[in-house]
Amino acid sequence: MPREAEPSLNERAFVVQALQEGLRIDGRALDQFRELDLKFGDQYGVADLTLGKTRIFAKVSAEVTTPYTDRPFDGIFTITTELSPMASPSFEVNRPTETEIMLSRLLEKTVRRSNALDTESLCLVSGQKCWSIRVDLHVLSHDGNLIDASCLAVVAALRHFRKPDTSIEGETLTIYTPAEREPVPLSWLHSPLCVTFSFFGEEADIVVMDANLLEEQLRVTSFTISFNKHGEICQGAKLGGTTVEAMTLIKCANDALDKVKELTTWLDLKLVEDSKRRDKGGLMAELSAENER
Amino acid sequence: MATQGPVIVLPGDQIDPSLIPSRPKKALKLGPGLRHIPPNELVPTVAGQLTTDHKKNSIWVEYNGGRYIPAVGDLVIGTVQRSAAEYFYVTLTDYTSNALLPQLAFEMATKKTRPNLNPGALVYARVCLANRHMDPELECVSPATGKADGLGPLNGGMLYDVSLGLARRLLMRKSLEDGKVAVLEELGAAGLAFETAVGRNGKVWVNSESVKTVLIVGRAIQETDEKNLSVDQQKKLVRKLIKEVS
Amino acid sequence: MPLDTSSAYPLALLRVDGRRWNDLRRLHAAVRTQAAADGSAYLEMGNTKVMCTVTGPSEENKRRTAASTATGNTGGAGGGAGAGGAEVAVEIVVGGFSSVDRKRRGRGDKRIHELQTTLSKALAAALHTHLYPRSTIALSLHVLSQDGSLLAALLNASTLALVDAGIPMSDLPVACTAGLTSAASAADDPLVDLNAQEEQELPFLTLATLGDTDRVMVLVLETRVQAARLKDMVDLAADACKSVHKSLREVVRRRGEHMVEEGAVEKGASMAMDMDIDV
Repeated sequence: MPREAEPSLNERAFVVQALQEGLRIDGRALDQFRELDLKFGDQYGVADLTLGKTRIFAKVSAEVTTPYTDRPFDGIFTITTELSPMASPSFEVNRPTETEIMLSRLLEKTVRRSNALDTESLCLVSGQKCWSIRVDLHVLSHDGNLIDASCLAVVAALRHFRKPDTSIEGETLTIYTPAEREPVPLSWLHSPLCVTFSFFGEEADIVVMDANLLEEQLRVTSFTISFNKHGEICQGAKLGGTTVEAMTLIKCANDALDKVKELTTWLDLKLVEDSKRRDKGGLMAELSAENER
Repeated sequence: MATQGPVIVLPGDQIDPSLIPSRPKKALKLGPGLRHIPPNELVPTVAGQLTTDHKKNSIWVEYNGGRYIPAVGDLVIGTVQRSAAEYFYVTLTDYTSNALLPQLAFEMATKKTRPNLNPGALVYARVCLANRHMDPELECVSPATGKADGLGPLNGGMLYDVSLGLARRLLMRKSLEDGKVAVLEELGAAGLAFETAVGRNGKVWVNSESVKTVLIVGRAIQETDEKNLSVDQQKKLVRKLIKEVS
Repeated sequence: MPLDTSSAYPLALLRVDGRRWNDLRRLHAAVRTQAAADGSAYLEMGNTKVMCTVTGPSEENKRRTAASTATGNTGGAGGGAGAGGAEVAVEIVVGGFSSVDRKRRGRGDKRIHELQTTLSKALAAALHTHLYPRSTIALSLHVLSQDGSLLAALLNASTLALVDAGIPMSDLPVACTAGLTSAASAADDPLVDLNAQEEQELPFLTLATLGDTDRVMVLVLETRVQAARLKDMVDLAADACKSVHKSLREVVRRRGEHMVEEGAVEKGASMAMDMDIDV
């Protein structure tokens, strides 16, 4: 019986009252994120992200196909999201709910439209062959804030992924297996990360970062903004709901920028840790063709 | 109580006959988690701790299940979904069918004066009818005396989710010795004023004058639950939380 | 974009269609275009032409009870429904002939679904939905021609149609787009009410405010822009919304005068929706 369990009146009233006193149910500060953990798989391009009790799994895969006819110089890059009943009994398989559509639209705008991945670099033989990179996102557990967690998982997985090395001689295209040549990372231009703000109160004046499921169900509106660490806004979306003062939104944007810088540093750290773990024996230094400058 | 430490059984295990209490005059009572295969086989059907009570000559398995199955006599906290002609429809667990609460099953309720419960309100009720084939039924009065005994709508406060095992331990009469739950006593001893109601369906309602108190109590209960704290650890947790606030 | 590159004042430059940076396109709106619907409107912002009809409040659909939540977090593109208030169901049909290349968009298109959800949530916040519990207000929007500022035009048309249907609301939601040029010489110049060509190349945002205030209902930014410029763009769009608000109020007022002339409403009779004649 897929029906989202609604919070009772007591919970509703209490959460709002607590927020008016500046307190959250789990004792966090209003702008504090829950505990973040990121694990990479043994295979390249597999990321398992935990944000409190929300858990997202992202997997990147690549295959060679023909490019779209109207874009012969670009590769194909798609992100698919799966919200299964494992995440929450109110989701059904293959029936897109509003949550799922908004999630995939936001990821699309943040990662695809902002050109985080250089699709031109995916082209192998223009008009005939190109790489098709596909990110499959599975929500394993839904405890609020799917958007921020998913974006982080997608970016982490894409930066972790290595595609097989190729070479072109004349008309023949050779794709090397990982055993023949070390796979190469994707051409990543910038890392966009999302921060979602939830608003509470009749005037929408209480601002909270990283809402858990109960807070999400009780919020009056939300604002998602994506930054990269260079300070560029990749997308911003406040889609309806109670009105918010424009100045509040501007302030949220500034707070989000600081948060994104923090998250980017954390993500870089995790990626470095993972490459160290793989790089037992200093093999990477031998394989790398870079000169020390 | 088992003398050689807790005995953990898995479904289908053999039970050591020496553990089964046997009194010549009294029949052995089987509690939840055991199945009797005549003539004299006892098989556990769930995984848990085998517990015996020699005084009452009963034997059962303590287990921490996932989903609450209503049983007659349990005290539960439900959320009113909607009100129909003669009944309120109350949700005990998410994603199951609703339980029925007759509108007249309240203290001092007559056909003219019905209780006014809006959708989303919380009620503390007792299960009076529960079997596999029908939707469970609740009541908010004690059938014998006609008094509420603390049952009825719950106003204010906050609802927290706990595991079924912790709910059962909290509801035990001697929750400190048998259930190893000291959190609530400790919090009371530390000077916090609050009231609680525990539902066997895994819900705890906490209310107090100050929001902070409710938050501390709720957090204490949830941490005890999630991390399976022992009595000493619970005492330490309470001390830590009190210090954080003051 | 700028035609005149030798001017000393960058803001005096003209855009492709001959407008200056703060000129809105020609806003033409008509109310009660369809007699059969409860409320209807037709709006043109330059070459973006949108039609809107409103039906409701009408009785709730039985299947809605299975997927109703107070905040519309799950379920179809509808606002808060059930005992809480009316549900605002928005349906958008984009004609295949509306853009330069003929392109048929299916119903399952996620972009359209996103627009529907956005409008539904925005209007649910502005309308007094608590007056009509267990009902549905159905909006049907048709896009006849697209030339930029689509979301803004859709919202403005919905506002007019809802006013025409007589559904009470706290204030008129209005929307407009604003953007920045990246002129090679100077710092970024502001732009208001972008058309399709400008939208494709420049960073822009769509802002919807409630009436004359600075309270933001919808903010959609899909292009990359420096963080520091966000405030400028938002201020710009808010000012543009105020101009749009003035135009829409004028349209509504003229309609009211027309109704009084026709005799549909007695002159001087007090109505639930008072008209205030600006002096």
